[in-house]
Amino acid sequence: MEQTVKNPADGAPDYNFAYLDEQTKRMIRRALLKAVAIPGYQVPFAGREMPMPYGWGTGGVQVTAAVIGPNDTLKVIDQGADDTTNAVSIRQFFAKTAQVATTEKTAEASIIQTRHRIPEKELREDQVLVYQVPIPEPLRFLEPRETETRKMHALEEYGLMHVKLYEDISRHGHIATTYAYPVMVDDRYVMDPSPTPKFDNPKMNNMAALQLFGAGREKRIYALPPYTKVKSLDFEDHPFEVQTWEDECGMCGARDSYLDEVILDDQGNRMFVCSDTDYCAERQEAGHRGPQHHDQPLGSADRGKAAE
Amino acid sequence: MTPQPQSPPAQTSDLLPGFDHAAFDSNAVFRALLDAMSRPGRIYDLPVNISAPDGLNKAATATLLAMADMDTTVWMSPNCATKAAGDHLKFHCGCPISTDVKQADFAIARISDDLSFVTDLAVGNAEYPDQSATLILMVDEISDRPSMTLKGPGIKDTHSLCIKGLPESFHAWRAENHHLFPCGVDVIFASDTQIAALSRTTRIEVN
Repeated sequence: MEQTVKNPADGAPDYNFAYLDEQTKRMIRRALLKAVAIPGYQVPFAGREMPMPYGWGTGGVQVTAAVIGPNDTLKVIDQGADDTTNAVSIRQFFAKTAQVATTEKTAEASIIQTRHRIPEKELREDQVLVYQVPIPEPLRFLEPRETETRKMHALEEYGLMHVKLYEDISRHGHIATTYAYPVMVDDRYVMDPSPTPKFDNPKMNNMAALQLFGAGREKRIYALPPYTKVKSLDFEDHPFEVQTWEDECGMCGARDSYLDEVILDDQGNRMFVCSDTDYCAERQEAGHRGPQHHDQPLGSADRGKAAE
Repeated sequence: MTPQPQSPPAQTSDLLPGFDHAAFDSNAVFRALLDAMSRPGRIYDLPVNISAPDGLNKAATATLLAMADMDTTVWMSPNCATKAAGDHLKFHCGCPISTDVKQADFAIARISDDLSFVTDLAVGNAEYPDQSATLILMVDEISDRPSMTLKGPGIKDTHSLCIKGLPESFHAWRAENHHLFPCGVDVIFASDTQIAALSRTTRIEVN
């Protein structure tokens, strides 16, 4: 497992520290201060074009660029994994433009930028979690007009959202929303937690770390200060529940983490592994073993057998 | 070339320097402000060394240098609005300075000033509660003695905060401000070396 890496100080000398110019950072920083003062409210900001396409985390990158300082240690995850394209490229972006230390260890990071997961390990007060958000408006699929959704938030008019959840129940017998599950923040604003699995929703409630959300295409920033009440919407007779699995992680045997399904062949064989790669690796280092774990190095005969 | 006649004041030689490092120092000050605003009542040390012009103190100067620019209007109470302070902000931040408190994005005052202006500060509106002013209040001393007990988002159980010389009327205004939520004014207390903040969500019990 990769440890914290110091990055050389001559990464991209033609750019300002952390890519964005100081005036842009100030504008984002002002939006961030408003966002923490009004938890769950979406603050408009003048989102910039970033050197990556929309949908690749331009909102999260702008928030991180405004927050990150030379002494920070950055971790970036995509669906829980440190080693996917999106995570690697954003990590390299800041290693180059801000010359900050980067890490894959949740515990060693001071800023964690995430796409669609919250790390399994409990976060601390001295950490900041930055979410990449595609569509920040939880009411958008119910009401396409921004003027109307803004009014609905102003009037605390969230009946439509409850109707949507009720229609789930009448159609499926339970609330079938499994990701981007809407939450009520501090009894006031309904907020989109970004497309995290609803499994992660309880972690948002009273989290010790500061949570910041950036939507680049939609140009919105919102935030959850530490220790803020975040409640997943539900009904008395259909209380909110997180997913549970029969299976355990094939690599580390964890039963308490969010699992990805991996198709192994075209015979219907599959395995489940932790989506949080750091959590899984840490458990394996501590000696935990799942049924599909192989202690043999790559290319050995035993390992080939294990995969069969 | 003949030297052009300079439009009046501000000889750059009279000006005090701003941040040593524009990117690092403004980031460090912002992080202290972000921590302070997301954990209301917790006290943070000013992370940079900076010189303050006559009329402002160090933490207030650092806050404005980190947060204000041509997009934000600054209002200064009559006691703070010295020529040195105005020149300093115009040079380093390029911010418009208004004498109309209603226009202010950042309003700055001393705790000993007449604070009756606070009710004129912009509070935003129901659809855009972020279009509100932030009050930077310069104070002599910030401590965690329990003269106020704070609750609300950002606070695990309670935080204690004591601002030396805080007038009674301030609490009445904060109580009113809290009822306006999501509209309202956020407050940054700035002593010479420390920063603490009150978010509009913070509930204050005066002990």
